[in-house]
Amino acid sequence: MSWKILKSKKKKKNAAPKPLSNQKQEQSSLFTSVKENEKEFRSIYSDCSDFILRPFLIGGKYDAILLYIEGLSNTDEIDDSVLSPLMEKNENQNDIQIGSLVKSQVAVSDVKELQTFEDCIQAISSGNPIVLVDKYKTGFSLGLTKWEKRSIEPPEAEKVIRGPREGFVETLAVNTSMIRRQIRSPKLKMQSMEIGKYTKTKVIITYIDGIVDHTLVEEVKNRLKRIDIDGILDSGVIEEFIEDHPYSPFPQMLDTERPDTVSGNLLEGRAAILVDGSPFALIVPTTFYSFLQSNEDYYSRFLIATAIRWLRFIFIIISLLLPSLYVALLTFHQEMIPTALLISMAASREQVPFPAIVEVFIMEITFEALREAGLRLPKQVGSAVSIVGALVIGEAAVSAGIVSAPMVIVVAITGIASFTVPRYSAAIAIRMIRFPLVLLAGTLGLLGVMLGLIMIIVHMSTLRSFGVPYLSPMAPMKLSEMKDTMMRAPWWKLNTRPHLTGDYNKYRQSPEQKPGPNKGKQ
Amino acid sequence: MLEKGKISAIQLIILLYPTITATAILVLPATTGSFAKQDMWLSPIWASTFGYLSIFIAYALHKYYPQKTLIEYSEKIVGMIPGKLIGFGFLFFLLHTNGMNLRDYGEFVVGNFLQKTPIIVVVLSMAFVCAITVYGGIEVLARSSQFFFPVFVVLFLFIIVLLIPVLNPKNILPVMGEGLTPSIKGALIPSQWFNEFILISFLLPYLNKKKNAFKWGVLSVSLVMITLVITNLFSLLLFGDITSYFTYPFMDAARYISIADFLQHVELIVMALWVTGMFIKISVFYYAIVLGTAQWLGLTSYRPIVFPIGFLLVVLSIWVTPNLQKLTEFSSTTWPVYAFVFQMFIPVSLLLIAMLRKKKSN
Repeated sequence: MSWKILKSKKKKKNAAPKPLSNQKQEQSSLFTSVKENEKEFRSIYSDCSDFILRPFLIGGKYDAILLYIEGLSNTDEIDDSVLSPLMEKNENQNDIQIGSLVKSQVAVSDVKELQTFEDCIQAISSGNPIVLVDKYKTGFSLGLTKWEKRSIEPPEAEKVIRGPREGFVETLAVNTSMIRRQIRSPKLKMQSMEIGKYTKTKVIITYIDGIVDHTLVEEVKNRLKRIDIDGILDSGVIEEFIEDHPYSPFPQMLDTERPDTVSGNLLEGRAAILVDGSPFALIVPTTFYSFLQSNEDYYSRFLIATAIRWLRFIFIIISLLLPSLYVALLTFHQEMIPTALLISMAASREQVPFPAIVEVFIMEITFEALREAGLRLPKQVGSAVSIVGALVIGEAAVSAGIVSAPMVIVVAITGIASFTVPRYSAAIAIRMIRFPLVLLAGTLGLLGVMLGLIMIIVHMSTLRSFGVPYLSPMAPMKLSEMKDTMMRAPWWKLNTRPHLTGDYNKYRQSPEQKPGPNKGKQ
Repeated sequence: MLEKGKISAIQLIILLYPTITATAILVLPATTGSFAKQDMWLSPIWASTFGYLSIFIAYALHKYYPQKTLIEYSEKIVGMIPGKLIGFGFLFFLLHTNGMNLRDYGEFVVGNFLQKTPIIVVVLSMAFVCAITVYGGIEVLARSSQFFFPVFVVLFLFIIVLLIPVLNPKNILPVMGEGLTPSIKGALIPSQWFNEFILISFLLPYLNKKKNAFKWGVLSVSLVMITLVITNLFSLLLFGDITSYFTYPFMDAARYISIADFLQHVELIVMALWVTGMFIKISVFYYAIVLGTAQWLGLTSYRPIVFPIGFLLVVLSIWVTPNLQKLTEFSSTTWPVYAFVFQMFIPVSLLLIAMLRKKKSN
């Protein structure tokens, strides 16, 4: 496409801003004198009222300082296990090396030796207090991190009736521990890196060695390494930096708050990206069908789960097409509507001054606004909005003759249908796409809807998420994987993992585990 | 190679099946009916032999030049300048035929559904959608048609099943009352639709597993034949002798469907069927044209010429005929001969020359 070429030319004209992280940070090692170190740290942390620097004497003789940030470290532990044993006067300490003294006297399990200011700063900002001793060029970082955090709660956006109820929190260590509790094998790997010049956010790529395709892990790491930004506050920021098709409305990564979703996907050979400070993990690669699946599908009985999946498929089509079909039928193809229905529809539309397409736009946009308003409002005000929505928009608008009653039904069904999509990011994409479809329906009728649908499918066919076609296993068709997309086969039939890319570990369980009364007797 | 994508054998079938059936299901009963009368359901069977032949020729040529399309190997077989000439002729034929396809589609939509819409809008919107698909490459084309194939089949079966109550089995009699001749005469025009299977030569080089290519091609032809026999049979059983007087018998057949006073006027489903089918058909032709032109000109990428050729297609669809009647006349008189030259005569001669050359070099 020529406009792409134009765009790339434009990009070249704008001088690219200098990459941030290429400005080399000099590694400066700690001074020998504790006074100099103290001065240096005071100047680094000038105007930081939460920075605490406590000079003290080890055994009443040697100068030392303790550094930490208020609220990030466990002060009780610092007092009990660090300061009091070190400050205790002991006459025999004369000849002992101070390094080993700190190690022998401090009752902390995680002690690291640091040589440079940069390492010390990093340790302090992640909550590890530092002890620096005079005449000694090494600092000791003590693993006494403790800060206030949210307790584990049921995930708000992905509720289930059956299945684990814990959701991720903002603390990375808690999140990784929740995954580790589900997958105990040391084959569960977690590689960490830091992104963000100022936020220094810890990002973890997790996968199961032996199931995952290693080129995928490499690709994820490479893409993450390319991110050069001042700060990462949520995994959503990372998502936009590493996705394959930035201009697509469709999400190309699954975001989830649920540890069991992450574990389930890891077991299928995917990788997950966890970001410190974000309760949402990203799962790659993802296909469109993953957005239509809920965790519960795997925990409830397979027949029910299959039926529910089909219900979702039908309602996704409804949420995408119903308003545009309504417009197309009412504007262009009235003959398709059975006569009795047509008469009652015509009767209710008699007073309405707008053409169907305008009516649909008014109502659909109002509905979206109601949804958006209801999302952010405090609970007390939220009920007021719903009353206004139900009464004014439902009842009053119809009796005032501004919209017709069938239109309200269409909008209501569309709204409900769009909430059957288990993932918000996919549901909102589908909801937004229906507006252009309504426009097409209003201009070209059913033909426009067909063309719009074809465009959407063609667009989805071009998408790939980390090398996996977005519409797979439907297109390209993989019959063996239909067992977990079009239906949910019973667990004893789900013997093979889905094939994503490259080599893969095919079998997830031994075959022929179908239960029955005569099983194992023979 | 210009195209880096790969398609699977199933995708090959799914690309070729609607390519042939899309136009055929709507128009075939009328064209065969005028020659074959009540034997018209036999005609697709005779016509399909040309489909098998096309597959065979394309496959045999593919064996000699596994990595090349028809445009490329024609140069290898008959030399630079004659090869280029053949290539140009073939591309022109494809372009012209696709212009006719596009016009066919436009005439159908405007004639039956959107009477007041200018045909250029209808044609342009379809060409735009196809252009985006072709721009995406063979994989996108294959995947999107794979997604629509079940829709196509389900809608077709939907209409067929609903038609069963209104059929009159006596219309089929007498079977071969005047011998084989009428049904063979009726097979002449559809035979050229089956010959469109020569397009497989543009897809074969990009097959990921070449082992069963021939088998899949044959299966594809058989599927098309069965579909067309069913279409003809149902139109015949419904309308009898008058089938040939309709422009789109299958469409008019759908108008007969009325279930419980609720499910009626399902001809819109025929339109949905036709639009999805035509989308794949036009895209496959379009892709062959774009790929062939890029190879013919020796370009490094076919993407820059996708949209220019799209515009050419749109104007061709307007230039190709002044109205539907002329188009129908052209496609049932001149086109079969014209198509035979490019779809059968040229590939067969290429194959013969290639075989002779092979023998000589041995």
